Amino acid sequence: MDANGQARAARHAPGGSGQGRDLFASLRSGPFGGPTPAVAVLLVLMPFALPSSTMATEILIFATATLACNLLLGYGGLLSFGQAIFFGSGAYLSSLTMMRLGAGLLPALLVAVVAGAVSAALVGALSVRRTGIYFVMMTLAFNQTAYFIAYTLSDWTGGDNGLLDVPRPPLALFGVTLADLSSATAYYVFTAVIFLLIFIAVRRVIASPFGSTLIAVRENEARALALGYDTRNFKIAAFAVSGAMTSLSGALYAMLLNFAPLENIQLSMSENIVIMTVIGGTGSLLGSLLGAGAWVIVSDMLAEIWPRWLILTGGALILIVLFLRGGLWGGVESLMRRFGGGVPYAADGASDAAGPPAQPVE
Amino acid sequence: MRDSHILTTENLSLSYGSFRAVDKVNLRVRSRTVHSVIGPNGAGKTSLFHCLTGGRRPTGGRILFKGEEITNSSAHARVGSGMARSFQVTSLFQNLTVRENLRLAAQGRDGNGALVFWRSVNARKEHAALADGIMERLGLDGKAGVAAGDLSHGQQRLLEVGMALCGKPELLLLDEPTAGMGVNDIPMMTELIAGLGKEYSVMLIEHNMGIVMAVSDTITVMSRGGVLVEGKPEAVRADPRVREAYLGEVA
Repeated sequence: MDANGQARAARHAPGGSGQGRDLFASLRSGPFGGPTPAVAVLLVLMPFALPSSTMATEILIFATATLACNLLLGYGGLLSFGQAIFFGSGAYLSSLTMMRLGAGLLPALLVAVVAGAVSAALVGALSVRRTGIYFVMMTLAFNQTAYFIAYTLSDWTGGDNGLLDVPRPPLALFGVTLADLSSATAYYVFTAVIFLLIFIAVRRVIASPFGSTLIAVRENEARALALGYDTRNFKIAAFAVSGAMTSLSGALYAMLLNFAPLENIQLSMSENIVIMTVIGGTGSLLGSLLGAGAWVIVSDMLAEIWPRWLILTGGALILIVLFLRGGLWGGVESLMRRFGGGVPYAADGASDAAGPPAQPVE
Repeated sequence: MRDSHILTTENLSLSYGSFRAVDKVNLRVRSRTVHSVIGPNGAGKTSLFHCLTGGRRPTGGRILFKGEEITNSSAHARVGSGMARSFQVTSLFQNLTVRENLRLAAQGRDGNGALVFWRSVNARKEHAALADGIMERLGLDGKAGVAAGDLSHGQQRLLEVGMALCGKPELLLLDEPTAGMGVNDIPMMTELIAGLGKEYSVMLIEHNMGIVMAVSDTITVMSRGGVLVEGKPEAVRADPRVREAYLGEVA
């Protein structure tokens, strides 16, 4: 090898061509690496640090919905104002499966996941035919439609009163009861396990060929098309994955409250989910947990002091969008850069997901 | 003879209302050659390019690629069959690294095969290997971890062409690869394209006459939507009609 070639090879090494380095890098940035251990620790601490484990459960449920929204907005650049369709229908369908068919916990959750994926694929397939503001309007219109359907079908959904007496059956598999979830603590543990599994799965999805292509679509759709990707299919698949997760969180929420209110499927729920995503930081999975946590805690505190608390959260949102464009996690990152010298999980999974916060171009 | 033509158009036309941007163009691009399309502004080069890449549906005529009709197939489907394009205005994934840009380009040939959720991108070693090979060829291997947007303009133009190469194409469609390039960078691009003509079939749309004359095997001169002259560089250079077309633009 001539000197030139050697120099080239040497320059090349930091890119990670050595086997040992690859293994080390994948351990660090694989689905179980990166922020995953930190999330696991947070999950253990949350019920002790917060006023109640019910509140901790609520945070995790919304964090799941926020992760799902983040997958669309932060990674796919798709701003969906239709997330409540999946959240609400997950709550209704799982509850009805339990109440009308006598199904157990896991079958009810499975129904929610499948229904969420299918309905999101349908909404996605129609919405991604348009881009930009028209795409957003489509998701919004679908949300309104879903809301009025739920409102009208009051024999099934309870209409304005919501669906009452939603059960929370024990965790059972093939007729064998594994755990009783009726206590708040037991239900928190169950939700935490599900959240951790979903967090790991989402990291996996983002680092997959699909996830990397989704980021490519966000970055430059025209180029992605020219490279041979049928970008619509990737957006629809992102919707399906996001819908399944959102629907699951809706089902868990109904079991937490023993109640499925009409608000679950209202446009304001979609807004809340988008706001939590933006507050936490788009394109950062840990940010989703922060965003949902901040939203639930702050709204709980403020609601006790002042009934018009939403004005304050509106103000907080404006401040974050203006001055903290990476969301709360972006703020944590810049603090660490300033005082600690390094950012532990700069890239959230994908090889290049650490780009600036995505603009909702779609 | 027909087999050696990788791309053929038959009476290809594209009209915007009564304006014929492309008017019954018959092109025959031979395999493993550089075929350039030149012409004064408004001659229809870019419209022709859009028809070939699938960006626009032609209003008349046919496009045959490797003997198969592709007139109405979509842009992304054409990549799967072996066509790749570069953009006149640099169109990269600005926030992603050079290596990730090229890896995504290599993965694009799989099309919907990239709809894989559960495997890591590292599982497909061949994409990364192809990306690394192209990076070296472009002399960008020292920039693997640099965001594409942080490259110099000349390097971005090279990466633009490299992205097309990663699709393992048989036919490369290059839309003004030197657009906006500094004088110092142009020899490098000239050398690259001349080399590509030996391995791939290249269709080049270009304004820079120096590069066109240096690398082309065949030149098609377009004027007012139609083909004015076609031939070897020296023949085109000497043709009085070509001079007239260009001078007419100035006058």
